[in-house]
Amino acid sequence: MIMVRAIVRPEKKEVLLGELSDAGFHAATVVEVVGRGKQNGIKIGDIVYDEIPKTLIMLAVRDEDKDDVVDIVLKYARSSGKGAFGDGKIFISSIDEVHTVSNGKIGL
Amino acid sequence: MKEIMAIVRMNKVSATKRALVEAGIAGFTALKVMGRGKLVKDSSIIEERKKTLLALNPYNSSEKEKLVTQFLDGTRLFPRRMFTILAHDDEVPVIVEAIIQANRTENKVGDGKIFVMPIMDAIRVRTGETGDSAL
Repeated sequence: MIMVRAIVRPEKKEVLLGELSDAGFHAATVVEVVGRGKQNGIKIGDIVYDEIPKTLIMLAVRDEDKDDVVDIVLKYARSSGKGAFGDGKIFISSIDEVHTVSNGKIGL
Repeated sequence: MKEIMAIVRMNKVSATKRALVEAGIAGFTALKVMGRGKLVKDSSIIEERKKTLLALNPYNSSEKEKLVTQFLDGTRLFPRRMFTILAHDDEVPVIVEAIIQANRTENKVGDGKIFVMPIMDAIRVRTGETGDSAL
């Protein structure tokens, strides 16, 4: 199993969660976070904003579904056709075990 | 070394903390998250819970029923607490069992998920220790 963590623009959250749900990846955990990227934040005049609000969406998926999820995020989290700085990042890590609390079952 | 990520009900936070202390693992990081689980396709599973929730508020409206249903069947995001616990490999089953025991309810859905993930290294900032001794 794979943990996909996508950091995206907050305004893309709703559309992305909708598209993920339509594609069959309904379960998700969402955290509002702040952060900065390689561009060192945004500089407007003399002021640097380096705590830019983003939304972190976490999804646990089966190995074979990873590419589908990544494609959906790439497609719908881009701010325009080409994409722009600040559209976000996707991190992928492995999960050893998943337990469901209500029935104690192992696996997704 | 493993990272245990557990998503639990807001009203089970203190029970979870107590269970962790009793299991011998006191350290954790917790944050408020919003989340949703699998869509509930069989509405009979949530029927009983829906009745209890609707009975809490005497005013009946279709809007309220819709809202309660959306919360229960998972179409809406609802608040949860996410615990992150770092543990030695051999402690993992104990912690997972403790969290499951503390969080299981009769509601059939929404009790949460526990993810166990590998972690490559940990470093204690105070001493610079790395690896298992840093936990």
